[in-house]
Amino acid sequence: MNALHDPAPPLDVERIRADFPLLARTVHDKPLVYLDNANTAQKPAAVIEAVDRFYRETNANVARAVHQLGEEATAAYEASRDKLARFLNAPSRDEIVLTSGTTQAINLVAYSYALPRLQPGDEILVTTMEHHANIVPWQIVCGRTGAKLKVAPISERGELIVDKFVAALTPSVKLAAVAHVSNVLGTINPIAELARAARQRGIPLLVDGSQAAPHLPIDLKALGCDFYALTGHKLFGPTGTGALWARKDILREMPPFLGGGEMIREVRFEGTTFADPPHRFEAGTPNIAGFVGLGAALDYVEALGRERIVEREQALLEHATAALKAVPGLRIVGEAAHKAAVISFLVEGAHAHDLATLLDHEGIAVRSGHHCAHPLMQFYGVPATLRASLAFYNTHEEIDRFVAALVKVRQFLL
Amino acid sequence: MTAPTPYPQIVLDHFRAPRHRGTLAACTHAADGANPLCGDALRIELRCVDGRIEALAFSGEACAIATATASMLGELVLHRDGADIGALGARFARLLESGDEDAGLGPLNALRPLQQYPARRKCALLPWATLCAALAGAPHATTEPDSA
Repeated sequence: MNALHDPAPPLDVERIRADFPLLARTVHDKPLVYLDNANTAQKPAAVIEAVDRFYRETNANVARAVHQLGEEATAAYEASRDKLARFLNAPSRDEIVLTSGTTQAINLVAYSYALPRLQPGDEILVTTMEHHANIVPWQIVCGRTGAKLKVAPISERGELIVDKFVAALTPSVKLAAVAHVSNVLGTINPIAELARAARQRGIPLLVDGSQAAPHLPIDLKALGCDFYALTGHKLFGPTGTGALWARKDILREMPPFLGGGEMIREVRFEGTTFADPPHRFEAGTPNIAGFVGLGAALDYVEALGRERIVEREQALLEHATAALKAVPGLRIVGEAAHKAAVISFLVEGAHAHDLATLLDHEGIAVRSGHHCAHPLMQFYGVPATLRASLAFYNTHEEIDRFVAALVKVRQFLL
Repeated sequence: MTAPTPYPQIVLDHFRAPRHRGTLAACTHAADGANPLCGDALRIELRCVDGRIEALAFSGEACAIATATASMLGELVLHRDGADIGALGARFARLLESGDEDAGLGPLNALRPLQQYPARRKCALLPWATLCAALAGAPHATTEPDSA
């Protein structure tokens, strides 16, 4: 049930929660408090039903069959590309390559764009706060070409030091890759400013939008970057869906990454002509039902309104930050001025995994660990943090329950 | 039904006041155990005489489960023959998987609730793997798969 057509704020949270079947379950006999949204988000019934309906009524392969089902499946799959283009305010739908997620999107750029271009001595610029998915693919192509990874530093508060990033954009840098929002710190990076600096120097900028797309309005025309990668499962859609947006002129120059069906124009044993982008990069049968679900997720988020989502999540962030600061021995890691609703923290004397296990026992799902960001953990000199990551369907009451449980389990453990 | 947590009183006691914590002035065997994904790092030092563990000390930073296991482990293996430790470790691994009591493992039975927490078993197994590495003359141990 997508019950939100009322244009007036604020969001009706009780009605929203009713849209997410999983939120009604219990864990260890306690009502679930799901605060692991940066890991993966829960799905509204509209998404679950869209996937279910696709398999019941429409299932066929895309872009091959002339029969009715094939036409309908292709139309439904391509409609999600249109929706993504609108969702991101992309200049053209043909610039949206559908992928299995952010990781595949970044690897596509690494192998198809960076690998053929890099020379020994070239550099790829990343930042200290990147997720492994925005580090490791670059390390692999650097290893193959003799290029080097260069790291732009962050401040103790968890903000990118913009001056140093810009100063690092030297002629040897052939590509820069930055998270829009840090999955650990919640920091929102000033992408438009970074993109402007990179553009002035002729350096393409890739943005890892995994954590931004679910929580912020994304306007690619205004951001001015060259590549934008995102994943569907954090955006309330199915796992195994995602996208890479890239400028048409760049995509045209990129050779295929995977070969197979769907990505060709004509195949002869003497040689094959490849399809134009974006299909050139979509070899094999895609996750069709998943993308139909992602289309439903985008519709859902747009119906809520991304400005209203930001407003609600900022209120939740403020409430959670204040409540956590009152917990004895607790230190928040990442206190950027512009943050999404992600809070990493440490509790003195208590290991993150012990607290996470005990919180789970209270029905509260948070993540503990390194959050696929080892270099960032090394920067802060900690092996692991706890992380509460919020979504619009979380409530002030849930945050109060979480913080009360944290006080309780801390006391129990220490 | 809510399953018991893997933090019964005896585990908390050993976590808060670990036995055998420290280093040995003269050790015959030592190994460093580390689970980098978790952030657990434990060093175990032994003094063996005629194959028997006559002194044991552990140091390092780890979660409550790894710390308490190391502490209880020290209690269990002191004055035992080093050759018997591998078999005891295998029994402990079985206890974690099955949740079944094993009277021969003494206080370590307190960790049986880990049967319900597969993701945390590696924490309890780290001190064992480290002890076995020390006895085998291996410098390092881990109970994590290769880092992702």
